Amino acid sequence: MNRDRFMQELRSSLVRLTEAEKDDILRDFQEYFDMGLTEGKTEEEIVAALGSPQQLAKDLQANYHVEQAQAHTSTGNVFRAIWAVIGLGFLNLILVLGPFIAIAAAILALWIAAFSFIIQLAGPVIQLIVGADDFYLFHLFASITIAGIGILLALGMYFVTIYTLRWFVRYLAFNIRIVKGES
Amino acid sequence: MNSQFKKGVLELCVLVLLEKQDLYGYELIKRITEKIEISEGSIYPILRRILKQGLCTSYLQESTEGPSRKYYQLTAEGKAHLHELKAEYRAFTYGVNALMEEEKEVE
Repeated sequence: MNRDRFMQELRSSLVRLTEAEKDDILRDFQEYFDMGLTEGKTEEEIVAALGSPQQLAKDLQANYHVEQAQAHTSTGNVFRAIWAVIGLGFLNLILVLGPFIAIAAAILALWIAAFSFIIQLAGPVIQLIVGADDFYLFHLFASITIAGIGILLALGMYFVTIYTLRWFVRYLAFNIRIVKGES
Repeated sequence: MNSQFKKGVLELCVLVLLEKQDLYGYELIKRITEKIEISEGSIYPILRRILKQGLCTSYLQESTEGPSRKYYQLTAEGKAHLHELKAEYRAFTYGVNALMEEEKEVE
């Protein structure tokens, strides 16, 4: 592989980064090639020493997505960051995906519980409206109490979810710092 | 050495080299790869990361021969971080070495 090919592959593997970011990354590698050539190395030697452009792109993108997720912790950003870190290598897959699925499942279960607590209020209310024969006020009040608990649980879960996402992004950052991809 | 091993300490290597003087990418990578076997490209993601974290800054300098060079300079924050990393690393290697010595004596 020669210099142009390397630069092309690196650029095309860097999806989702801003153009300015891409240009800056490529500038660094151009400098690297220029320096190597003035030292009398061939383009092929330099390419071989640099390693695979795809793996480099993965590493750079994982950095970028984790930074984005740290700056704006939205679900979309966190998912992109998780996806990018998983792509780094097999060990990252295990260390990231396993805990993520476990935590996400627990959070989802609690959200579902909160919503079902709230939604069950519809039953007695409908009975009240249609004037069903087996309507008891006790049911209505018990149901209102449970819905109240549901609302509190949902509120609590809102904060739990936000803090868990932030914490997980920190874990991702730790992951790309410590755990090596393939190169 | 297992590449899994190296990544965590490459950041330390970069910071150590920048402590005394500002270096440009090529020089920095050359200094590291003289001693440690890694693919040369993998230093760039580390450099970008420590730049973003504010551990160092960069500036361009024209050179008489060849292209302009991007120099990296450690910030005060970077120096503080380096001192922490150094202490942690020393404690860690001391522990590993002590264990290896102990086991040698047993044999």
